[in-house]
Amino acid sequence: MEISIKRIPWASIFIWTALILVFVFTVMPLAFMLTSSFMTSRQIVRMPFSWIPETFHYDNYIKALQGNDGSWIFPRNVFNSLFVSITVAITTILIASITGYGIAKFNFRGRNLIFMMIMATMMIPFEAIMIPLYMVATGLRMQDTYAGLIVPFLVSAFGVFQMRQYLTTFPSEYLDASRVDGLGEFGIFWRIVFPNCAPVIATLGILSFRGQWDNLLWPLLVTQSEKMKTIPLYISKFAEEKLTDEGAMMAVAVIASLPMFIMFGALSKYFIGGSAVYESRKG
Amino acid sequence: MKRKYIGIERKEARWGFAFTVPAILFFSVFSFYPILNALYTSMFDKRVLSLLPPDFMGLGNYTYIFTSPDFWNSIRATFVFTLGTFIPIVIFSLMVATFMVNLKSKQARGFFQIAFYTPAVISSVVAAAIWLLIFDPRGLGNQWVNALLNTPGVDQKWLADKTMVQVSTMIVYFWKYIGYFVILFITGLSAIPPAIYEAATIDGSSKWQAFWRITLPLLKPTVVLVSIMAMLQCLKTFSTQYLFVQGGAPRAPINVITLNIYTTGIRNQRIGRASAMSIVLFLIMLIFTWLQFRFSKSEEVEY
Repeated sequence: MEISIKRIPWASIFIWTALILVFVFTVMPLAFMLTSSFMTSRQIVRMPFSWIPETFHYDNYIKALQGNDGSWIFPRNVFNSLFVSITVAITTILIASITGYGIAKFNFRGRNLIFMMIMATMMIPFEAIMIPLYMVATGLRMQDTYAGLIVPFLVSAFGVFQMRQYLTTFPSEYLDASRVDGLGEFGIFWRIVFPNCAPVIATLGILSFRGQWDNLLWPLLVTQSEKMKTIPLYISKFAEEKLTDEGAMMAVAVIASLPMFIMFGALSKYFIGGSAVYESRKG
Repeated sequence: MKRKYIGIERKEARWGFAFTVPAILFFSVFSFYPILNALYTSMFDKRVLSLLPPDFMGLGNYTYIFTSPDFWNSIRATFVFTLGTFIPIVIFSLMVATFMVNLKSKQARGFFQIAFYTPAVISSVVAAAIWLLIFDPRGLGNQWVNALLNTPGVDQKWLADKTMVQVSTMIVYFWKYIGYFVILFITGLSAIPPAIYEAATIDGSSKWQAFWRITLPLLKPTVVLVSIMAMLQCLKTFSTQYLFVQGGAPRAPINVITLNIYTTGIRNQRIGRASAMSIVLFLIMLIFTWLQFRFSKSEEVEY
């Protein structure tokens, strides 16, 4: 006869403990950013650290916007980051889809060569060409302009690749039917093909937006005046000024992260799906 | 009849060409030209402010950087960072991913996925800024470690000690990207058909055996690809190191190649020398990319 003793599920206890520890490790710094953005500098570095602000110190946010020098340049920097990231997302989607469509659905001499060339650019890391690119930007008088911030990122090879992969499976019968109906080639792209790229558009848009929102290196080279700088540069300036005001720095960090958190909350499946797509490209 | 047929083909070719030309022009100016230009400039003693035409010096810049302790230090810093970051990331994310696919509750899995991925969403500059404060001598970093090791009041010198500052940059990266790699591994793990595990269970294998004998061998291609991807990411690291140096950390231990290119080319205006460094970085990454393509071709697994 079997005695029914509930076995202690050690495996699942172990798994849960491990996952909760990882959870604490990933979430704590974010919680720290949020809570310390409402603290006075003195409270942030107090030992032991208390996780709840003594008083909600909204001043940090005012100081964040105002800047250490009181120039109120931060809102302009936020606008710059938004403007550059949105523009790059739009141009990447448009140019990548039209190029991907051209390569996927048209037969012409040199098509494979063109595709190979575009793929080859993926092997050129931005960090290796930033110095000559800076010289190009200087030559085109794009220093310290929006054009300078945007133009080097108008389209990405990865975007072209994704669109091409996606559109290869697009049924050519639709295209032929539209041709018979008398729609022009550009009309076919814009009315038939483009609206059907929605899933790729979403992942690609998010990827390109993030790429520029996160970009520190290029704005560091190409901008000079405070009013052309983007958020990452503003944050690095805060760090440079010897952490004058830790609370305000965290308030800046929270403001800088808000758009990404909102996007992530609304479109998390495209973020997470995007990384899976990225792997399948490699695989 | 025949003429018309050719006509349609020609027309098609023309449109295909028209659709792809803008991108080709773009990549020519902003990818191919710069890399060729870097190669060319790396042969000259070019400086930004000099009015004289730059002197041709052949491989002089390369002999210079390869005999300069400063550049070797950058190579060391880059590889130490890369190895110290990607090995823990790959091992831990594989472990966490295995735990997560073994979770019975779908909601819990989804919740952990989103939570682990969140640090990847914020920008790398923000991540570095947060950790700058955590690594403050009076900050949370010391408090956590001292609580764990039961060593009250010890300062780990996160940003001051030359070994610790390297570890600190690795922690930032590890924290930021662990969730991203967990998700890559979950994708890989979900592709393994459950029937294989069922068969193994019937044959009397334990979960532990199943992991070492089934999961790991089948997952090998994913592991290799994810590792190379992680290495490529780490080789290009810039933001964390830059921000830490701006925040007062010593430069030398974390002076990675990208940071050195930036300082040499932009701050010191030594364009030729910086171009030579860029070419070296490009070649290092090219080797890894080549490995990646090779593995992705040869390591296909069929279930």
